[in-house]
Amino acid sequence: MNPLLIALPKGRLEDELLPRLRGSAFELDARALKSRRLRIPMADPSLSAILLKGADLPRYVAGGVAALGVVGSDILDECRVDLMELSDLDFGVCRLSLCAPERTSLEQLRRLPHLRIATKFLDATGRWLAQEGLTAELVPLQSSVELAPVLGLADAIVDLVQSGRTLQAHHLVELTPLGRASARLVACRGLYLSEPDRIGPLAKGLAELLKRVPA
Amino acid sequence: MPTHTPSFPDLLFDDAARLRRWETQLMAHLDGAGYRELHPSLVMRDPVNPSTVRFFDGDELVALRWDFTEALARTLVLRFQDPPRRLSYAGSVFRRPANSWDPVERLEVGCEHIQTDPEQRTEADRELASLLMAVPGLLGLEGCLLHIGHAALLRRPLEAEGIPAALGQEVARVLDRRALHRAAELLDGHPAKARLLAHAEILLSGPNGPGSLAVLAQGPYGGLLEAEAEQLGRVLSVLSAQLPKGLTLRLDLGDLRGLSYYSGPTLRLWAPGAQREIAAGGRYDGLYPEMGRPWYAAGFCVRLTTLLELGDPTPAGEPLKGLK
Repeated sequence: MNPLLIALPKGRLEDELLPRLRGSAFELDARALKSRRLRIPMADPSLSAILLKGADLPRYVAGGVAALGVVGSDILDECRVDLMELSDLDFGVCRLSLCAPERTSLEQLRRLPHLRIATKFLDATGRWLAQEGLTAELVPLQSSVELAPVLGLADAIVDLVQSGRTLQAHHLVELTPLGRASARLVACRGLYLSEPDRIGPLAKGLAELLKRVPA
Repeated sequence: MPTHTPSFPDLLFDDAARLRRWETQLMAHLDGAGYRELHPSLVMRDPVNPSTVRFFDGDELVALRWDFTEALARTLVLRFQDPPRRLSYAGSVFRRPANSWDPVERLEVGCEHIQTDPEQRTEADRELASLLMAVPGLLGLEGCLLHIGHAALLRRPLEAEGIPAALGQEVARVLDRRALHRAAELLDGHPAKARLLAHAEILLSGPNGPGSLAVLAQGPYGGLLEAEAEQLGRVLSVLSAQLPKGLTLRLDLGDLRGLSYYSGPTLRLWAPGAQREIAAGGRYDGLYPEMGRPWYAAGFCVRLTTLLELGDPTPAGEPLKGLK
């Protein structure tokens, strides 16, 4: 039988995630990890990990290629896929916030006749705008969103804020939080429900492991 | 040639033959139990649901049949003073799926049991469950699981706590994803939050046996849900006694899909490795009263599209266990 696949995120969450797997059945093979391979054996030979960009990861899990996955809730909230969200893992915690250049207030933004907000998080921003009774032009950007208000592409941004240092470096300030984001354990609905004896204990074990803060 | 995901897949020779064979076998199975076929039109009027495939027929907005149960109900309330008891159907429904890559056109075979006396409901539910339990054997599927749930297990506590309908739907939606942490966020500030979360934790503790009913009885809504728990216990014991070889029966108290539609016991048949359930159904006593008829109903449909997918190799190249 082929190893069961677990999808793990590259990037922001990876650095916090990998130390938590050490010494467990889920530990990734160090040599494979250093290579350019994207499919990495785990300590338990019946398991194998695939390293994916966060935005691609839900598709692999929902499509049943990977049985389980770890992904940021910010990404889950932006993609419309049918999967199980089994646990809030409480790491990779940050805020999704509306940010604008220093000395700009939320009131000033509200009064703009044509508010432009640059963001990668179009759905979350749209929901916040609807809740606030505001309309705005959403400027979709994939990276370096902080540049948009600095260079005049947008009046404000909605982005993830962890320490706030990137904002500071671009003379931006947080005006209001839109929500909290953190790493989540997700599962393929079909596999979780059709093979509960196989996937259930595995998911439980992985969630307990990942919630533990490494020494 | 189109290169995008086939929302409306064409079935070539082998798949078309398998579809025809399954359809024939299942319709014969239902016919043998006294279910007579009704074939409602492929076009439905008043398509309010945006997930349907809608188009203009002249000035009138119509949709391709999005649901057999609703199509049959519309036909029955127009044509019959007293309902036919047992109905079957076969054909396609068209609905925008939750995942963009899933097909819009879905092939189904199903049946409905309609009652005019509420006392007949338990017997009808048992009959339908027995019919469904025979389906894996008919189709040659091995290692299937039949999950039994109950729609009232969440709805009644939400109503008892005065949770507004929109919030209740949102809570049901996140719990359907097994996301207890999201339910906690949604219920923040509500005085019943701790009780509802304790109850939801029991529901989501995973599909398992009759022991979960004992846990449910000791939970915060054990008294409120006494009748439902008793009903589930009875169903489980009756069905366990007639369980065919190779089929496993499980209580899934966390089956919350279609909560606004189902009113009683729910059934979902899973094959190992299937991305979606191969059959689903339950009791929906609210449907006919909404259309002005005091009738009770339950039914299930077998999703032939999912069965066809089971025959394809998985992306990981692992052979599927479900199909002989």
